[in-house]
Amino acid sequence: MTLPDIPVAAATGTLTGNARAVLGEVATLLDGLLRTGEGGLIDIRGLPMSPADRQWLLEQLGKGEVEILMDIGGRSRIVETGLPAVWWIEHRNEHGVLASEFVQVAYVPELISAHPDDVESGLEALRSRISELS
Amino acid sequence: MRANRILDTLAGQGITRRAFLKYCATLASLMALPPSAGKAFADALAKAPRPSVIWLPFQECTGCTEAITRSHSPSIEGMLFDMISLDYQETLMAAAGHQAEAALHEAIQRNMGKYLLIVDGSVPLGLDGAYSCIAGRSNLETLKEVAAGAAAIVAMGSCAAYGGLPKANPNPTGAVAVSDVIKDKPIINIPGCPPIPVVMTGVLAHFLTFGGLPELDRLGRPKAFYGETIHDRCYRRPFYDQGKFAKTFDDEGARKGWCLFELGCKGPVTYNACASVKWNDGTSWPVESGHGCLGCSEPDFWDAGGFYKALSMPARPLKLEPAAIAAGVVAGAAIAASSRSRKSAAKAAHETTTLADLEK
Repeated sequence: MTLPDIPVAAATGTLTGNARAVLGEVATLLDGLLRTGEGGLIDIRGLPMSPADRQWLLEQLGKGEVEILMDIGGRSRIVETGLPAVWWIEHRNEHGVLASEFVQVAYVPELISAHPDDVESGLEALRSRISELS
Repeated sequence: MRANRILDTLAGQGITRRAFLKYCATLASLMALPPSAGKAFADALAKAPRPSVIWLPFQECTGCTEAITRSHSPSIEGMLFDMISLDYQETLMAAAGHQAEAALHEAIQRNMGKYLLIVDGSVPLGLDGAYSCIAGRSNLETLKEVAAGAAAIVAMGSCAAYGGLPKANPNPTGAVAVSDVIKDKPIINIPGCPPIPVVMTGVLAHFLTFGGLPELDRLGRPKAFYGETIHDRCYRRPFYDQGKFAKTFDDEGARKGWCLFELGCKGPVTYNACASVKWNDGTSWPVESGHGCLGCSEPDFWDAGGFYKALSMPARPLKLEPAAIAAGVVAGAAIAASSRSRKSAAKAAHETTTLADLEK
């Protein structure tokens, strides 16, 4: 007997209905972004959803034009969904396992922007390089 | 003092600000904080100094230490060890014997009144504490000495928090919890057998960020992780509400992922974060793997009746309370309607097990 012969499988195919509420929350955040410029973040893993719910939500949001990969203590992937300004963010650890997952409503996800302190350090490094060249 | 700040220490090890932000976002998620808290967390944590931590293992199985060090999320738990100065931990430290004891006393003197004390394992009081001794001294004696200079104490795991398995009937060593011995220091309980590694990380991050302990529940547990029951956060909860229950571990209901209440799941009376944080690097957790919750983060879970008895079934049928009879297991829609009263009735009937129960 091999493993597939055992008539028990992981319960991944059941929709609980919990993912539907997330769509409403995304709509509210998008409305807020347009009116005040402030979006928001939804923690996908904090919600009681089955794997099927998660898949359903991904399908409902669709896929957009932008995909950003970041190698920061494990791979992170930021994908614009089919809805502009709605981003699906996956953070993986150094072993490639999903550590956290968010839906962010923002014109540009904050994680992408450089911090002023880091820009300053970069500028100092560049000036020092230039002076070494001259 | 800039070099002592956490972010600077991490930067020295090649960890960038973005990686740190990512870590904080994940940590906030695991702590069930609002998603926006990740950034605030990162801002405060980056400026915090590295604290000294002394970790004492007493009457324990080393499962709590294993849970943290064998965790498959080095980006989280590994970062924790970079954030703190772990000055004494017998299982992990290279020093042994007199060198180890010297390191302990040096850490106490150098950081008097400021260090964080982590304890895993219960404290045996029987035979003047002789059941568990380290370096010729009883755990009781060591605990009292080290606790005196601590800023706060973390009781890690169900043994340190409640007495745990060593305290199970008939408690041959006279095991007690840390809070039964130390009365004059802030104590935070992180129960679980073992506790979820990231709960430890979250509590330490909170201590580093805010300089104090997070909000605790009536059993001294951080509400961020123990604020809701397993049942409240369980993805199978909708099936409980619909009255859909697995009756055996291999029936159609089990295959469809229905609620495990009738198979003895203690999720409705167990406060822990397994349902949202999960185990083994977020791979799964007991209920997702098809087994009910054992309730290991609750006091005396080992003596609280059979693991496979539904909460609505009393541990001693002969002493059945009227409320428990009314709350007997009935599949179907009526279960959802009466779930709240059943939950309280189940709690009332959740009696201490007897030898007869073990023989069943």
